Order: sequence, then structure tokens, then C-alpha cells
Amino acid sequence: MTLTRGSLAALVTLIIGAICLMLEPSFDWVVKWPAAWTLPITQWLGDGVGTVLQVLKPGTRLIAAGLQTVLDVAGAALAGMPWPLLLGGTTALGWYLGGLRLAALGFLGLGYVLISGYWIESMATLSLVLVSVPMAALAGLAIGILAYEVPRIKNGVQAVLDIMQTIPTFAYLTPLLVLFSFGPVVGLIASAIYAAPPMARNVLLGLERVDSDIREAAIMSGGKRWQQLFLVELPAATSQVMVGVNQCIMAALSMVIIAAVIGGFGDIGWEVLLTMRKAWFGPALIAGTVIVMFAVVMDRMSFALSQPRRSHSSRVLMVIGLLTLISAAVVALAYPDPSRISLLGGISDAMNSALTDVNVSYGASLDSVKNTAMFYGLLPMKIGLDNAVLPFTWGFEWTSSHTVWYFATVIGIGALLAWRGHVTGGLVAVIVAGMLETGIAELPWPFVLVGAAAIGWVPGGWKLARLPLIWLTVILLSGLWDKSLQSLYLSGAAILACGLLGGLLGLWGALSVNAWRVLQPICDMLQTIPLFVFLIPVIMFFQIGDFSAFLAICMYAIAPMIRYTRHGLTTTPDEMIEAAVSSGANTRQILTEVRIPYAVPSILLGLNQTILYAFAMLVIAALVGTTELGQLIYQSLTKNDVGLGLASGGAMLILALVADRLVQGFAEERRKALGL
Amino acid sequence: MKTTIKMGVSALAVMAAGAVSAADMGAVDEPIKLAINEWTGQHISTHIAGEMLKAAGYKVEYTTAGYMNMYQAMSEGEVHAAMEVWSSNVSDQFAALVADGKLEEISDLGLDAKEGIAYPAHVAEICPGLPAWEALKDCAQNFATAETIPSGRLVDYPADWGTPGADRMTGLELPFKAVPAGSEGALIAELRASTEKKSPLLITFWQPHWAMSAYDVQFVNLPAGEDACFNDPAWGPNPNAINDCDFAASRIFKAGWIGIADKWPAAHEILKNYKLDVSDQQPMMGAVDVDGKSVEEVVAAWMAENEATWKPVVDAATQ
Repeated sequence: MTLTRGSLAALVTLIIGAICLMLEPSFDWVVKWPAAWTLPITQWLGDGVGTVLQVLKPGTRLIAAGLQTVLDVAGAALAGMPWPLLLGGTTALGWYLGGLRLAALGFLGLGYVLISGYWIESMATLSLVLVSVPMAALAGLAIGILAYEVPRIKNGVQAVLDIMQTIPTFAYLTPLLVLFSFGPVVGLIASAIYAAPPMARNVLLGLERVDSDIREAAIMSGGKRWQQLFLVELPAATSQVMVGVNQCIMAALSMVIIAAVIGGFGDIGWEVLLTMRKAWFGPALIAGTVIVMFAVVMDRMSFALSQPRRSHSSRVLMVIGLLTLISAAVVALAYPDPSRISLLGGISDAMNSALTDVNVSYGASLDSVKNTAMFYGLLPMKIGLDNAVLPFTWGFEWTSSHTVWYFATVIGIGALLAWRGHVTGGLVAVIVAGMLETGIAELPWPFVLVGAAAIGWVPGGWKLARLPLIWLTVILLSGLWDKSLQSLYLSGAAILACGLLGGLLGLWGALSVNAWRVLQPICDMLQTIPLFVFLIPVIMFFQIGDFSAFLAICMYAIAPMIRYTRHGLTTTPDEMIEAAVSSGANTRQILTEVRIPYAVPSILLGLNQTILYAFAMLVIAALVGTTELGQLIYQSLTKNDVGLGLASGGAMLILALVADRLVQGFAEERRKALGL
Repeated sequence: MKTTIKMGVSALAVMAAGAVSAADMGAVDEPIKLAINEWTGQHISTHIAGEMLKAAGYKVEYTTAGYMNMYQAMSEGEVHAAMEVWSSNVSDQFAALVADGKLEEISDLGLDAKEGIAYPAHVAEICPGLPAWEALKDCAQNFATAETIPSGRLVDYPADWGTPGADRMTGLELPFKAVPAGSEGALIAELRASTEKKSPLLITFWQPHWAMSAYDVQFVNLPAGEDACFNDPAWGPNPNAINDCDFAASRIFKAGWIGIADKWPAAHEILKNYKLDVSDQQPMMGAVDVDGKSVEEVVAAWMAENEATWKPVVDAATQ
């Protein structure tokens, strides 16, 4: 019998796993990496970076002062301007870019901000975004051009971009505080760091996709290299660059809450934090929704900017302009204080009491939902069936005879699958069952290392097998292994749930236009609202603990899965569908035989984003009392421990990037198989 | 103990000095920046101090600042003072910066703080015998949840505030497993949910806090938290462990940039002698958090009514 690559990898993993299981009772080090084998990486990082920071500090403080001035000017201008100017201006811009639809969006979006009662705070937030987006966009543009012009460093640049997007912001907030002092400038820099990579990626992609004809024409017409670049190639890449700008804005907005954690700035994020601290759900949601409104308005308008558009009546534009000026004058004279306008108190109270009602009426059912999920899902995944099955959870005690029977059954099923021709499937079934018996948080490290390497080896050969081996060993040496496994368990559970549920919702959104109309704004909201807001009801319903953390992570990480699944399914080339129709396929067959296989790369990309999001969310989940890497990162901030923050942020980065590379390996292989 | 004596002595010394001659005003044109942290009580304490400084003729700026990471900025004189620093929950960095001579502890605020193991009042029905701590031995299983079975569940402080609840459970050998809360919001959400659902809850909590009255929170009576309890295992009900007692008394003090005394001598005097009582602060917190009034108006009303309390402190420093 010849083994495929997949089954060979699975077999090796299985053998290592079995050996580990046998060694486990007599050799402690198989599960617990001994402290004597660790290196004081945390301390080295703290000392090394601490020294560097002191050297850089005088220079960065100057930069901080400069940025603070820019921020102050922008903030004063926005807060001082009568509100109808901004409201009318946004409406007019909406009309200019997209006619009635965008004009209405601009008006309603800004109108919401006004009646929320947080106008002044919102203007502070807006000033932060208005400064950070151009900064991030310019930096992204420069990085993108650099990577395009100097192909040698392209791979290196892309790795740096990955790090910028993946390492949790909280992990480097402490060094930023040292460098840039205290106040909104730190939040500004953090959001720029996070928002620059999407811009850089899109610039690079756009430049690479410029038609070779255009490029050659530019070369023929002579001129210096920078002239070719800025006068011909960049303009030709405009639409992709605008996608980058759009992504850049969204990323910057999702980071504004970070500025609030540091303080020094009465912005909308600070209001969210204050209300969250009092567990006031209504006001927190209303304040958080302001950020969503900004995001939706900016997203739709910047997207319209990247599309070819027809012109809309300039007469209407003038009418809007006139109305704006008149009402601005009236408001400036008669009602100068926009924070007096607050019309949503009733809604906020209603939401608060609704929360109480749900809690009181459905408390018992909510408890049983949580208990079921814990007993039969999360706990076995975390500590394994052998520890999770107890008289008061499953009704009986897991004994060694259970283990024997369990493995006998599983091996039987695996053998049956293998005999039916699914050798890999059979082996994987046994491996997964074994992991479930042990629990992710208690997996032996040699098994994890070999398993990850084997997964990489299947699509990517030795090159992709080496990567997890090296980097996971770094985590082992750092002494953060057990915390990392807990992170892996928590985000793994969330990724599994999001992958399934998000995939189904994406399918639904692809099949029904109306479904997508409902799903799209929900996805927008989940991706931009500060998720602190949802921690309150989650804790009230499900108490502090893993299940609440799991739910919080799912809320954030499910959105990309839905988006990309739908995107993949709705972009099947017409000629493929026509070919299927003409060969007599019905709608269901077209879906299962054409659209889904074609969508696999896009779905895998969605899964990849879901993985990154799930890891990113671990730090926020720390606020509901987790005990893994996210909690360490969060603590490093309050303890002002640069080394701890960077080391645990680094471990999280490694986990996320290894998972990312493995999934991308498979996506690449699929794309090749589909001939894309 | 030693620190309290020292503090007492220095306060006396200052009062004596203050009585002899008023301090210089210093740089009245430059604003004194007071830190506004994340909780309402602190907003009130800070605004009262700010109004006192204004009454003395200073410019005051209120600047929002994260409680845990404001000390770096304070040591560099970018924020000048914070009115409520809790000794039980203060960043390690604070002590380091005080030792470096960049920050100073100005003086106690006078708020009578208490921390302890607590429960919302209705829990007394779930665990008869409360508030005596011994009652918890027998009804631990009533507090059990999916994560802690078969032990009871104690919601402890967020992990970065330390694990005092867990220490008590170990010290007293109570069958409870402590679960760190993650954030203050999480603690409040737990209190609120438990009160609404009438579900069991044991929680590490503190006063003054608006939630104490909002959710009728009671403290468990534990053996008094004497020094011996934390050093001598033989002390207390459990002869084999330390921490078998209540929390050590915690202090709430004012802290500030080391340069205040030189730059604004009279302001330093005012901040040093400023005191606030729980009985004053608690109703104001209620007016803000329950009745929805703004901190400014609540503080202004209090200042108008209680001139006799704060005016002498300002006068002593300036006249």
C-alpha cells in the first residue's frame, strides 16, 4: 500500500502522539516543559528594549509634541465648528459621491452622532482618526512603493506588515508610553501602526497588477523612474490604492478605543470605558454605536471614491450647501452647545431594562445553555474527557477502563475508514479523538510540534514544516508554553465555532439578497464597535469565565468568515455557471459542484482572517477574566512591564502567524489545483 | 504601622508650618493638571480639590488618565496629581518612581476604605448563617458553577490587582475556587446579574463604591486583619496558614509630581490638607451614578453648602 503525503503526515503525528501518551505517566517533562529548560527571554526583552527606548526617547518626545499640536488644532477646529457645518458637509459629500443613497447615509449617520449626546467626545475621536489615517496612509504608501521598487526586500517587508497587524496592540503600548509619553498621541501612533499594513499591501498589489503595456509605454516615453512611478504607474493602480485607503480607515477606527485606555483625551472611547466600568449597557452601546456610524459613513464614502461614478445634480448640492450655512448660522447664534442635545436617553433606559428582563426571565435557560456548552464542549476541549467527565457533569466518573474502551472504539472507526479507502481520514479521526481525550491545554509538546510541522509539510514541504518547529520551540524556551496552550484552546474553540456558523451564514447571505441586507450591517457593527460594550451583557448572562470569553471572541471573529464565504460564493465566473447550466446541472448541483469548490480559496482566506481576529480578541477577552496569554499582555500594561508585554505578545504573534501560514499553505495548494 | 506614624508626624509638622505663615502662590499662570481616572468617586474627589485650588486663585485642568499607567506621565510633570490612589491596588511602577524621587505621596485623603469578601443581601437566604464566615464552609456547594464544581465560586479581583480573595480561601481552608474577574465592569455585571436573578454570588469587593448601596452588598465577617495574621501561621483559626483573616486596612492617598511643592507651594499645602469623608462622597456618587446629574453640578452644590469644611484649608494656605 502506498501512502499519500497526507496520510504519511498523519501517521507520523499519530505515532508521536501515542508515544507521548505512553511516556506521560512516567515522564513529567512530556507535558510540562521544565522550568530549568527555559531562557529568561522576558527579562532580556525588558532590559534590551528598555535601554533602546531611553536612547530614542528625546527624539520621539519631539515627534509627540508635534503630533499633539496637530491633534489639538484638528480637535479645536472640529469641536468649535457649529455642528450643522459637519452634518451638512457630510451630506453634501455623500450626494456628490453617490447621490441620494449616500447623502441620506451621511445625514443619518452624523445625525445619530448629534442626538446621541456625545457630539463633543465624538469630535475628539474624529480628530484622532483624521490625523492617524493620513499618517498611516502615507506610511503605507511609502512602504508599498519601497517593496515594489526593491524586490529583494519584498518578503521581509511583508513579514513586517504581518507582525504590525498581528501583534496585539496592548503588547507594545507600554514601550509606546515611554517613547511618546502620555495622552492621545500614543493612541494615534498605535492606530497608525495597525492601519498602515492594509494600505501598504494594496499599494503593492495595485502596482504589481499594472498592465505591462502601460508600464512599457511609460518606459518608452522616457523620464526618470520617479516620474514613471508617480505619473503613470500609481495613477493606473488608483482603484486598488483606494481599497487600501478604505481598509486603512476601518482599521484606524477599530483602534480608537486604545487611545481611551491610556487617557488624556475626552473622546468617545473614554465614555465607553466609563460606562463599561459601571456595567451600564445602554449608554455604552449608544456611545459605541457612534464609532460604528463613523465607520459606516467613511467606509461607504471612501468605497464610492474608489469606484467610477456618474455626476449628481450640482443644484441639489448648492441647496444642501445653503441649508447648511443657514442652519450653521442659526445654531452658532442660538444653541452653541451640542452636548445639550441628547435624545436617546429613553432608548438607553429601555435597553438597560430589557437586559434585566432577559436576565430575570431566562436566567435559568441561560445557565443551562452555558452549562451544556461547558460540560460537553469547552471543558473536554480544554482539559480532556479524562478530567472533564465527572459525576456532576456527565453523570459518571471517567476511569481507565473508559479510556481503553474509548480508544478501542476510535481505532475501530479509524480502521473502518481506512479500509473503505479513506486512510488519511481514519488516521486524522484517531488523532482528533486522542486530542479530545487529553485536552488541548494538556497536550504534550512533542506532539504539538510534530503535528504542526506535519500539517505544514503536506502542502508546503520541508520549508513549511520548519517554520512551526522553530517558532514553537521559541515559545517553549520562553516559558510561556502552558499559557500559550490555553490561548490555543480558547481561540481554537472560537475558530471552530466561527468557521462552522460563519460559513453557514455566509452561504445564506450568498443565496438570499435579503439575508445579506441583514448580515452586512451586523458584520460592520461587530467589526467596528468597541467590543467592550458587549462584555457587559455577556457577563450578566453567562458570568465570568471561559464561556463568556469564548462568546466575546466569536462575536468579533465570525464577521470575516461570513464576508469571505459569501464573497467567494457570489463571484463565481459567469461562464462557469453557464457551462454547468448547459450541461444540465440544477441549482443545488451548481452550488455543490461549481460554486463551493470555486469559493474554497476565498473561504480559506476568510478562515485565515478569523484565526487572526480570534487571537487579536484574546486581549479584550482578558477583561472577562481569562488566564492565558491575553491576560498576561493586559497585565503587562497595568504593571508597566515592557518585557512581559513583548514576550507574551510575541508568543501570541507566533501562534497566530503559524496558524496563518499553515492555512495559507493549503489555500495556495487549492488555488493551484483550481488553476487560479 | 511605621508609615502611619511617620505620616501623622509630617501632617502635624505641615499644619504647624501652615499656621505660622501662608505659602507662596507660585506659578499661578500655569494650570495644575489633575488626573481624572476611571471611577465616579475619584471624579468627585478630584473636582472638589480642583475647585478648592481655583478658589485659591489657581488655574486647574482636569485631564483623563488611565489609573494604572498614569505614573510615567506624572513623574515627568505632564499630569500633576491624582487624588485617589488606593494602596491595595497600585501599579509597581508607582513605588519605583517614589523611590527614584520623581513622585511623592502627598497625604491621606481621609476616605475610610474597606475591602473584603462580600455578597449581595439576598445571598444570606442561600447561605444561612452569613455574615459569619464559618457559614461558608457548609454552603460552598450552593455557590458552585460549571467551572468550579465541586467547589464554590468566588469572584476575585481582576488578576492585575492581585489575588486577595484566593489567599483568604486558602488561608481559611474554605472550599471555594477563586475566579479572577478581569475588570471592574465584570465585577459590577456579576453583582447586577446576581441581584436581578437572586442567584448566589460571593465576591471580593470594596467600599466606598456606589455599588455597595445599589446592590445592597454586605461584607462577610472575617477574623480581624492584624499584622500577625499575615506573618505568623499560628495566628487565627487556621494554625497552619497565614492569610486566615480579613484584609489588611487599605489607605487612599493623594499622590503627585515631586515638583508641585516648588512650583505651586500654596497648592501643595491645600492638596496636603484636603480631606474628604465617605459620608460626604457616597451621596455625591449616588447623585451622579443613580440620579444622572453631572459631576460638576453635584460638586458645585456640595461646595456651596460645605464652605465651612473646605474654606479654612484654602485660607490657611493662602492668607
